[in-house]
Amino acid sequence: MPDLPRKKVGLISCSGEELPEGTVTRRAVRKVLETLRPDDTVTLCLPLFLAGGEGERSFARYYPTIAVDGCDKRCAARATEKYSARPVASIVVSDAAEAANGQEIGTARHLNEAGMRLADSVAGLIAEETDRLLKKPGRKTPVSSANVVGCSCNSSLPSGTVRIKGRATRVSGLPLIFAQLREQGLGLDEKTGTVLLEAVKIYSEVPDNRVQDWTEALVKEYAQFLKEKN
Amino acid sequence: MSGTKRKISVVPCSGIGKSLGAAAREAAFILAEDLRPDKTKIVPLSLLVMGDEQAKREVAGGEAVAIDGCKLECAAKGLACSGAARVHKIAVFDVIRRHRGLKPEGVCDLNEDGLKLARATADEAAKIVDGVNAEGGHA
Amino acid sequence: MSDEVLQLSVDKFLFRFPVGLYYSEAGIWVRFEGNRARIGLSDFTQQRNGDVAFAEPKEVGTSVVLGEEVAVVETIKVNLSIPSPVAGQVVEVNGDLLNSPELVNQDPYGKGWLGVLEVGDVEAARGALKTAADHIGLAKVQAEAEILR
Repeated sequence: MPDLPRKKVGLISCSGEELPEGTVTRRAVRKVLETLRPDDTVTLCLPLFLAGGEGERSFARYYPTIAVDGCDKRCAARATEKYSARPVASIVVSDAAEAANGQEIGTARHLNEAGMRLADSVAGLIAEETDRLLKKPGRKTPVSSANVVGCSCNSSLPSGTVRIKGRATRVSGLPLIFAQLREQGLGLDEKTGTVLLEAVKIYSEVPDNRVQDWTEALVKEYAQFLKEKN
Repeated sequence: MSGTKRKISVVPCSGIGKSLGAAAREAAFILAEDLRPDKTKIVPLSLLVMGDEQAKREVAGGEAVAIDGCKLECAAKGLACSGAARVHKIAVFDVIRRHRGLKPEGVCDLNEDGLKLARATADEAAKIVDGVNAEGGHA
Repeated sequence: MSDEVLQLSVDKFLFRFPVGLYYSEAGIWVRFEGNRARIGLSDFTQQRNGDVAFAEPKEVGTSVVLGEEVAVVETIKVNLSIPSPVAGQVVEVNGDLLNSPELVNQDPYGKGWLGVLEVGDVEAARGALKTAADHIGLAKVQAEAEILR
């Protein structure tokens, strides 16, 4: 039975060799990924993103992404917007560093204690933003510590196309959604449109004023899918 | 012909998903700060690819060393379009094959094997730098 | 052979299983070519174990029983002893892996094949393996267990 991946937040950080704040971003993102929100986040590899990694780029299209940059050059945020989609949130550590009273935080190679504390603080900001994006109540304590973490180098959510008012529209996860609902026994009745729409909305933004158009298009596409399968 | 000789640009991939990327990053620091500080300078890959003018000036027309973690070669690809006169490539993945048995772990904090691997990579990169200098091109 | 590929999505990972192949419990794929069996690591197995640094099949002429070590694969994470998914004799090994072991990761079902064995009883060999549809359930359990660990 096909499984849909849970909605997750992508984290993309700058590479950060120029400034210690860049190293802070790496440490903060890894902390969120490994300790604070391991079940809710995926890290995107910026170098791979820049080099044309389709898995990374398509990931940022389907999942809300937080860009975390060391300075106001904002390489991660700009790259995400340029090659994929605008990140839903952008955190710049140098702003947070100013708020931390301009303390020395070490070097790009080695953070000192103040730098480590700053990384923890930024990790907390990222975790809060993740909760907000996933509409989860704030959590003060780390959720779990998973041993297996990964970047999205080998992941992608397949998408399908529906024609909404004559316009081809890509919908994240559509093939898996259809397959899963079919396996669950969803046929064509008065509930079909509602069920389809709720499933699609987990991975795609559906404008409030287009709900009816989307519903009609999804039902039509699903009917065609069922016909081909039977 | 020239006064101050130009430093060789060192561009690590700094991938965040695997320990190989972390080892590439650490190797760049070892090279540029410990082994050949007068002859090399790190240029961040993301600045270069995103068109930062200063980064582009550092690299354009000069010699560069791409230090990649794995065979996806993100740093080498980024440098290929950067205007560098020559790009010398080294991948941690290949270095590990010459140091069998090392099992690097960690991304923010490399384990002992990861640090050994970074050092081995930096040593090999230093030889590349020395070779370029022997040709008389750079610092 | 069918071009269809089954996909398994677990958490953030996507694993592919071509329908035309057979699979052992250890995650080794088999493509039967007459009385020969070409083998390699499944997409799940290669992703699970990381970048391959060395892939060393047993040399040509080696006879193995079902489950006996037919190759050693060393990744940056672990050293794997690969149990043979069939009984037979090694007749060909993938020489490309000597200089390009990353093929196992980049193209696990194509250029990343490990070796070819001549099989005595193909039907019996096939019977001991699973189809993609049957194997995917086991892979899902293994992947989920890996993530929870």
